[in-house]
Amino acid sequence: MNFLKVVGAEPLPREHGWRRRTRVGSTLSAVVVAGAMVLTSTGAASAGGPVYGPSTPLPAVGTKIQGGTVSVLEGPGATPNYIFPFVNAQNCGFQNFGMMFDLMYRPLYWFGNNNSPTVDYSYSVGNAPVFSDGNKTVTVTLKNWKWSDGEPVVSRDVEFWMNIYFAERGTSDVYCDYTPGYFPDNVASVDYPNSSTVVFHLKQGYSPTWFLYNELSQIVPIPMAWDRTSLSAPAPTPTTPNLPDLTKKGAQAVYSFLNGLAKNTADYAPSPIWSVVDGPWTLQSYTSTGEATFVPNPDYSGSPKPTISKYVELPVTGDEAILDYARTPGPSGVQVVNLPDEFLPQVSSLKGEGYQATNFTTFSFAYFPLNLGNKIFGPVFRQLYFRQAFQHLVDQPGWIKKIFGGFAAPTYGPVPLAPANGFADSFETQNPYVFSISDAASLLESHGWKDVGSGETATCENWRLCAPGDPAAQGLQLKFNLDYQSGAVTTYEEVSDLKSQASKVGINLELTTHPFVTVISNAIDCGPGSTATAAQCKWTAQDWGAGWIYAPDYLPTGESLFLPGAAANFEGYVDPKATALTRATLTASSASAETAALDAYQNYIETQVPVVYIPTATGDIGSGNIVLTSTHLGGFTNNLFSQLTPETWYLTK
Amino acid sequence: MTGYIIRRLGQAIVVVLGVTMIAFFLEHLLPGGIARAIIGSRATPQQIALFNKANGLDSPVWYQYWVFLGHLVHGNLGFSYKQNRSVNSIIANDLPRDLMLVGTSLVLAVLIAVPVGVVQAVKRNRGWDYAGTAVSFVLYSMPSYALGLILIGLVAIKFRIFPAIAPQGASVGAMLAHPSGLVLPIATLTLVTYALFSRYMRSAAIDSLAQDYIRTARAKGLSEKLVLWRHVLRNSLVPVTTLVGLSLPAVLTAGLVIEQLFNFQGLGLEYFTAATTYDFPVMVGITLLVGLATVVGNLLADLTYAILDPRVRY
Repeated sequence: MNFLKVVGAEPLPREHGWRRRTRVGSTLSAVVVAGAMVLTSTGAASAGGPVYGPSTPLPAVGTKIQGGTVSVLEGPGATPNYIFPFVNAQNCGFQNFGMMFDLMYRPLYWFGNNNSPTVDYSYSVGNAPVFSDGNKTVTVTLKNWKWSDGEPVVSRDVEFWMNIYFAERGTSDVYCDYTPGYFPDNVASVDYPNSSTVVFHLKQGYSPTWFLYNELSQIVPIPMAWDRTSLSAPAPTPTTPNLPDLTKKGAQAVYSFLNGLAKNTADYAPSPIWSVVDGPWTLQSYTSTGEATFVPNPDYSGSPKPTISKYVELPVTGDEAILDYARTPGPSGVQVVNLPDEFLPQVSSLKGEGYQATNFTTFSFAYFPLNLGNKIFGPVFRQLYFRQAFQHLVDQPGWIKKIFGGFAAPTYGPVPLAPANGFADSFETQNPYVFSISDAASLLESHGWKDVGSGETATCENWRLCAPGDPAAQGLQLKFNLDYQSGAVTTYEEVSDLKSQASKVGINLELTTHPFVTVISNAIDCGPGSTATAAQCKWTAQDWGAGWIYAPDYLPTGESLFLPGAAANFEGYVDPKATALTRATLTASSASAETAALDAYQNYIETQVPVVYIPTATGDIGSGNIVLTSTHLGGFTNNLFSQLTPETWYLTK
Repeated sequence: MTGYIIRRLGQAIVVVLGVTMIAFFLEHLLPGGIARAIIGSRATPQQIALFNKANGLDSPVWYQYWVFLGHLVHGNLGFSYKQNRSVNSIIANDLPRDLMLVGTSLVLAVLIAVPVGVVQAVKRNRGWDYAGTAVSFVLYSMPSYALGLILIGLVAIKFRIFPAIAPQGASVGAMLAHPSGLVLPIATLTLVTYALFSRYMRSAAIDSLAQDYIRTARAKGLSEKLVLWRHVLRNSLVPVTTLVGLSLPAVLTAGLVIEQLFNFQGLGLEYFTAATTYDFPVMVGITLLVGLATVVGNLLADLTYAILDPRVRY
């Protein structure tokens, strides 16, 4: 999910993205994936770590009333603008999921409710999947839900989705989370033995937890009423024979038709297509400015049923507009506001106007990469001692206190520590590379660098220690560029402090700044096997002020981050042990085995510091560090993956 | 005159095409790749390749421009990479609202600045002039952003007279249905624009008042009112006409700060967002529009000179 905000050239402080996966596996025994917390890590992350936002609904003053209108603000530049759930990479912004189609078309499995990164079966269309035959067979049964056109939600709807998915592979319109080799490439065949059952036959056995969280999470049953190529054709039903999706060409034609409709935002509502929903909401209107109004779907089969009578998403043009809304009309007009970082000092006065402020978070971690494939500095960056030394320069407690005003979580490894969760083990709650100039200096000095801490730029006087295997490192000065996103105050303050600290050990960081899109565009994998050109690999460090949110790959495994050639392995990190540990998380045979594999993986990646870990700002949808909710809005809970659940909200008087 | 207009329109086409060409090629020189900027950092090489192919970005830049021209001839400005709608619809949606907001501000600024400038010129170096000058300098030196924040803080938040958020209607009519929401954004733009116009008007009026034909008019017994509003005003409007003509392109994009402050979706913000997200079709489309507005604005200014000054003939 990518989103940007625009306020005097200030992009969002974090990037959310869909990721790709690579993995291998082995034959494993049968297991049923059930329950909210499938992993029971020994030594849960809550020990000593901060907890952000309550896991229970926020309190409200007054007496609950039925009906009413609740308005929330969209993120600047993050207007939901695509309604078809089979979304391509171009439209894969979080706002289209959490603020558009997930409200209306329930995914097979839902994650992240109540501050927990785990599956919530009560919100899911599917029951807990059953794994058998060495985890090569996955049986999913559906609940007795209905579409708003009266048709039941059946396995044929899942088949419809899968057929489009299979057909669009290899095109530019493939589902945004698709990675070659992963779902659905790892599916040998799919059976639909009855109207409520789907059976996946996999090409190999996978970890049940991983397959549920990172593969089945991609499925959204879509109604058969959509299985046509023109609006004049009668709406099909699950029993209509010979529908176009049953052939590849037909499925592509249906996709093309639906995608074409989705490009015409003026006809989102009313629409004979998009009005067929199974979620708690249906779109009542959508304006050209991006204001979306939803009303309850009276035929919603799940629970809870909406209490409010209207849910409105309001577009905003920038951070100032967000503050304006919070001031006037205030909580009586806009009940949910994500307050940007720079307005933290206003929180107390806004509380006085009828808001309550909570620092919710998303399940993400912040970092920035060094280019391990850079021709000149890559041989140095690839040395563990250097990455350790560099990590010692990051003053996480100081940044959290002074830059984020306390609204950030320490980040020591790839598994988020906030909120407390069962995926992060106790090892990850400890920082192996605490802020220490002396430790950083000692590492550099003991590895062949002179003029460390003398006020000069450190120089390599023994390449065999500085960068073993690279004689060209002899005489190399530790002066390299750190490019960071422009306009974000927190990023600027971070890199400024880092430059200052680095200078104390002879690392001369040349800071440059560019727009967010430029910074992320320049961070290209230049590792072994990369096809990037020499010009593209000149970058040394890129900080887009962002991190990684585990959505929709909800299990915090690292196949998209740290496997060689992975889509988000910008640093070009290649480590056989890391590769083996990462792949082990994809193929663990049971929940306990998954826990052990995940622990081993995260602990290793934490100590290896393939990227520079920086504090993860808390916040939720859009850019807000603080979520303001009206004191007369009850039932608000945080979803860790920026999914909104207005069906749980109610107004009070 | 007709021939002159035709010649100028011909020039306008060449200039506008030149502007789009420069903008098109410069945009493709921006660092980083469009595909990664649009798809995101998680873009796989395969996705990048497919995106480039689907959007013609794997062709030479000159060929991409040729395709763009081909679409332009049919009135098609392309499809936004990020907004899931056509550039035509973006412009069609935002332009009328921008014209309404910024155009109203421009007209109000002229209507206020012209008489104030004349009065200041007539009463120069006296109390009214000093007061007018002080106000103009304060407003002229104040960035529109700062002025807007002050107005929001005082008028919207402290005294709750007018709302801080502009009307959110998608059409001009829908916006006009909530006029109170238009007061602060229009006031902000008007005050900043008025300051500049009034100074020019004052200077031009002072200059006119010193001319021999004014002395002659007075000697002929014309009333001071007629002298001012028939002779001084008409001859003083030339520099203001130049300013207004040059302001026409600004109508389209100069409201960026106002748009952000007052939550008003306009072309200024569209362009800025497009530039920071590498949404090239939107950038090129709006650049073309601004180029067109520039040449049309200059043409209208030149034609107005001919109306104001009979000596000017084309």
